[in-house]
Amino acid sequence: MIELRRLTKRFGTLTAVDDLSFTVRPGLVTGFLGPNGAGKTTTMRIILGLAAPTAGTAVVDGRRYQQSLRPLRQVGSLLDATAVYGGRTARDHLLAVALSNGIGRARVAQTLELAGLSAVATQRVGGFSLGMKQRLGIAAALLGEPPVLLFDEPVNGLDTDGVRWIRLLLRELAADGRTVLVSSHLMSEMELTADHLIIIGRGRLLADLPADRLIKSSARANVLVKSPRAHDLATLLTASGAAVTPEDGGGLAVTGLDAPAIADLAAANGIAVHELVPRQPSLEQAYLDLTAASTDYRAGARAAESTASR
Amino acid sequence: MTAVQTRAAQAPKPSPAARAHDVLAFEWTKLRSVRSTSITLLIAAVVTIGATGIVAHAVASTPKPPPGGFSALSVSFLAYAEYTVIPVSVLAVLQFTSEYSSGLIRTTFAAVPQRWTVLAGKAAVVGAAALVIGEVLAFGCFALVQAILSGRHRGVSLGQPGVLGAVLAAGFVLCACALTALGLAAIVRHTAGAITAALGVIYLVAGLCFFLPSPWQADIGRFTLAFAASQVTALHPQAGLFSPGGSMLVLVAWPAGTLLVAGLVITRRDA
Repeated sequence: MIELRRLTKRFGTLTAVDDLSFTVRPGLVTGFLGPNGAGKTTTMRIILGLAAPTAGTAVVDGRRYQQSLRPLRQVGSLLDATAVYGGRTARDHLLAVALSNGIGRARVAQTLELAGLSAVATQRVGGFSLGMKQRLGIAAALLGEPPVLLFDEPVNGLDTDGVRWIRLLLRELAADGRTVLVSSHLMSEMELTADHLIIIGRGRLLADLPADRLIKSSARANVLVKSPRAHDLATLLTASGAAVTPEDGGGLAVTGLDAPAIADLAAANGIAVHELVPRQPSLEQAYLDLTAASTDYRAGARAAESTASR
Repeated sequence: MTAVQTRAAQAPKPSPAARAHDVLAFEWTKLRSVRSTSITLLIAAVVTIGATGIVAHAVASTPKPPPGGFSALSVSFLAYAEYTVIPVSVLAVLQFTSEYSSGLIRTTFAAVPQRWTVLAGKAAVVGAAALVIGEVLAFGCFALVQAILSGRHRGVSLGQPGVLGAVLAAGFVLCACALTALGLAAIVRHTAGAITAALGVIYLVAGLCFFLPSPWQADIGRFTLAFAASQVTALHPQAGLFSPGGSMLVLVAWPAGTLLVAGLVITRRDA
């Protein structure tokens, strides 16, 4: 379990993390989402004791990371897969990290196998592709069989096989009862992986909810109704408390009532219904709606600004 | 509580000895697993021995030892003072700066969040390696020079008073320089800057003192690594500088002070 309490981190005048509180629970894959520059990596660095918070606390299983004497047995992490020394072999890199926490050589061989790196164990890391480095970083995170795992953008630069491997691995780790926090700015990937979502923008918490609820809570979830007596139906629906928006093509977009309720209401009043389609936005769309206001570097926004200044 | 959590919570707390073993194994594995370490040391050893042989031969070829010139003892360490001290100090610098430039430092601090312990581990491994290399080469150079000079009856033997101590001290000088370089590297973080700082502290500060007017040259110079190193390795220490004992303190104070500042800096800085 990872707990953040009113965590704040300032770099000069820039507030990278702003009064952030959330809890990451075991047994779930928690997606940590936000646009580039939202403060995801900074938050993870604070959890790992690499950066000191300006205010607030971050604890893992009840204590600060720095208090742990063999932290890799409690928390496994992958922040930046390219942060390895190129002149060292994959096995020596893992061996050094393992020995630092009293982990034996047998476990090094196991994690190499697990990450599919056994065949290249004696090759220098400098010659590895980004995907191989990601696998090496994940192997390092798994060395201590930790109950808590943090991965920062683990699917960046991976091919389809690699993405799938990480997705299955994350699900497996969570099914084991581990706490898994995975940051990403790729909502489409999180849609397939995460059970729970923590979304931040400009360092602030925007949402902390189960992944499926984000979709349902989106303003874009509605029911499309088509009827030959659309006007009469719209009046009825509005009277029953629903909001109705006419759409191109003669349909009505209805929110506030679900499909069965709409069908019952139409039947009770003898109105024929030709189409009745519950519609959910993609997680990506729900996410975009949520973060639209807090996106730092949006192409559209910047273009608009430069147009305005001209 | 799930099975996974229970297992982790039950992990025994490591003893201080086990912890020391972990950190030393960590740093030693990182040091030995980079091929450039052994290549650099091999080249340094070959060049040092070769250059020492050339110097000894040149001294042996002069008809008379020049007045106030090199003693048979100090000739032993002329090449060592540069061809061993420079590469080993650079290797010491890289122990920190290569981790900062690659980003590996975050893996290191995540594996061992107690940063004083990381610093102590690096210092122990680098210091021990430098001491062993230093003593081996100091005795090697001494033996080579004496073998060449004894043919001219101008050599000294380890049995003569002060000689054994001077050769041992020459080995320690390498350890002092390497640890000073390590501390500077942790403070500076960038390779080029840290190498410049290390060589500056080891050579240039003393070099500058040579240009100072008479009383200041010794008064200030005696606090430098190079002056202290020449005092502890000389058969007849120079007057006006610290005694060999005092100079030994200077050789301890430089790395100790630099590592202390390094520790204060790395524990306060975000990684």
